Amino acid sequence: MASINLRALAPIGVFFLLCFVIAVFSPNFLSVSNAIRILNASAIPVVLVMGATFVILMGSIDLSVEGIVALCAVVTASLVLNDTTGANLGLWAVPFAVLAGGLIGAVNGATHVYLKVPSFMVTLGIGFVCLGIATAALGGFPVRISDRGFRALTLGRSLGLPNGIWVAAASVFVALIIQERTRLGRYVYAIGTDEITARQSGVPVERTRVLVFVLAGLFSGLAGAMAAAQLGQGHALIASGRLFTTITAVVVGGTALSGGVGSVLNSVVGVLIVVVLTNGMVLMGVPPFVQQGVQGFLIIVAVSLALDRRQLEVVK
Amino acid sequence: MTEKQKELLRNLVPIFTLLILVFGIAAYEPGFLRPANLITVTADTMTLFLMASGATLVIMLGSIDLSIQAIASMTSCIVAAMLPIFGGTALLFALAAGATAGVLSGLVVNYLRIPSFVATLAIGGIMTSVAFWASDERSIYISDADKSAWLNWATGTTGGMDNEVLVGLAVLAGLSAILSLTRFGRLVRAVGSQERAVVASGINVNRVKFLAFVISGFMAGLAGLVMAARLGSGSPTLASEFLLPAIACIIVGGTAITGGVGSIWKTFVGALIIAVVRIGMTFVGVTVFAQQIVFGLVLVLAVAMTIDRTKVAVVK
Repeated sequence: MASINLRALAPIGVFFLLCFVIAVFSPNFLSVSNAIRILNASAIPVVLVMGATFVILMGSIDLSVEGIVALCAVVTASLVLNDTTGANLGLWAVPFAVLAGGLIGAVNGATHVYLKVPSFMVTLGIGFVCLGIATAALGGFPVRISDRGFRALTLGRSLGLPNGIWVAAASVFVALIIQERTRLGRYVYAIGTDEITARQSGVPVERTRVLVFVLAGLFSGLAGAMAAAQLGQGHALIASGRLFTTITAVVVGGTALSGGVGSVLNSVVGVLIVVVLTNGMVLMGVPPFVQQGVQGFLIIVAVSLALDRRQLEVVK
Repeated sequence: MTEKQKELLRNLVPIFTLLILVFGIAAYEPGFLRPANLITVTADTMTLFLMASGATLVIMLGSIDLSIQAIASMTSCIVAAMLPIFGGTALLFALAAGATAGVLSGLVVNYLRIPSFVATLAIGGIMTSVAFWASDERSIYISDADKSAWLNWATGTTGGMDNEVLVGLAVLAGLSAILSLTRFGRLVRAVGSQERAVVASGINVNRVKFLAFVISGFMAGLAGLVMAARLGSGSPTLASEFLLPAIACIIVGGTAITGGVGSIWKTFVGALIIAVVRIGMTFVGVTVFAQQIVFGLVLVLAVAMTIDRTKVAVVK
């Protein structure tokens, strides 16, 4: 048991160590305004990892994050007051974006389960389809949002903190309830640990798998609406780089890619580690293009530390 | 149907698909069948084929390489940046860099036991950073003098035939020979069909996988060189759009992602199918933006059709 606890606590240790090291090199790091900046930058990634964690807990993967976020950002931007369409739904655009995300998630899940295609292949293909739709619908141009009230979804402040942080906190709360207090949550762990045994014990594997991809789609849809509100526009490239950050955060947080081990709270810590690292590199003057390389390196280190090699006979 | 008839059918379907598509377009536009035009179409397809050729070996193992587009972009930057300083040696540096990326992927998969789709995703991220570093975050123009001195093998003509086609045919012949005549080639198929049996026979599976990833990286690097030569520049995002079509042409050609089944000529045919479909879509009036949607769907459907479901007990 001790080793399991250690494994769960290690990411938090890494987080504090990282903060300490950056603070030594750059004292500005420890200001209140920088802390808020870090939390604000974490908001969208946190929403994204809420869905991705459940998918990875099942031992699957969702590579369509960027496609869904981009498409839902375009949907959102087209439904609020903007320069391209005549719509003006205001905040009511958000539920539409979330639903659109859930729908794409359902396509992912149904294709994966009923055509028996591995999830990385389905989500790779569907992700490109979404990016294609987002590009084709706009002919490559962005939709600019002119609705200031809607942009308050991430830019406004409540109780002194940007609203995006509150949206992210609410997402964590919902995901935590699903993980801890629902059957779906328990089924996810059962499937991730041993799918064959889970099936024999009566876990509805197919339905659970589809539902988890729908859940991931819903969170990605919400993240798309937030991205549109944050940048004031919707276009096909709005989400580039999000997939990488999402997977890095989930695995750095300690959720194993082989499934069954991890939690949404781990992933929140994972996001904080990735964002603090990015923030620290900016403060220390490291060029921004190095970040993708550093994240790639982090993925490899984190996955290799979290893998339970006893279970692995064949690695594909 | 016997196994042999099934095998024959599997070999013939891609070829007939290609022929039907070609004659379909010729019905609209008879000039399409002119030899000069067919050569041009083939020459335009070769960069895609080169990228997919090495990755075919990886997919035949039942693994995947998601770093090929990043590697190709990287070598385009390296060659464009180094040609003015080092002359022809720059080509060797670029190819070595491509192979090195493959070495890294192979080491990470073999010794850290990380599944290839995550390992190559991460290595791809690192290579993108290298590309940004090598190119100083911009696209680099290759002077005409350097181009005619060092890149004529890729873009010139020999006896009326475009050199791209000759390079493509040489790679087709070389890799096919490796696959069907060498011990390594037979082991690639064996590992893809029954990895456990190969391990139990006392064969070093790691060496086979390692070599496949190195060849994949090398060929992606070569594809980057040809791309840079054709466009007259190198850029860190030069090949970003190529991952989806490259994997699609491997699968459409009839190589199954479950491993064991496949060959290089299938990828060659698959690449031509993708190219002809693209031309056909332009004829029918599908915008360039929407083509990604079609390729995404084609990818998922082709995987669903070619996958061997008896081989995987649990689809993750």
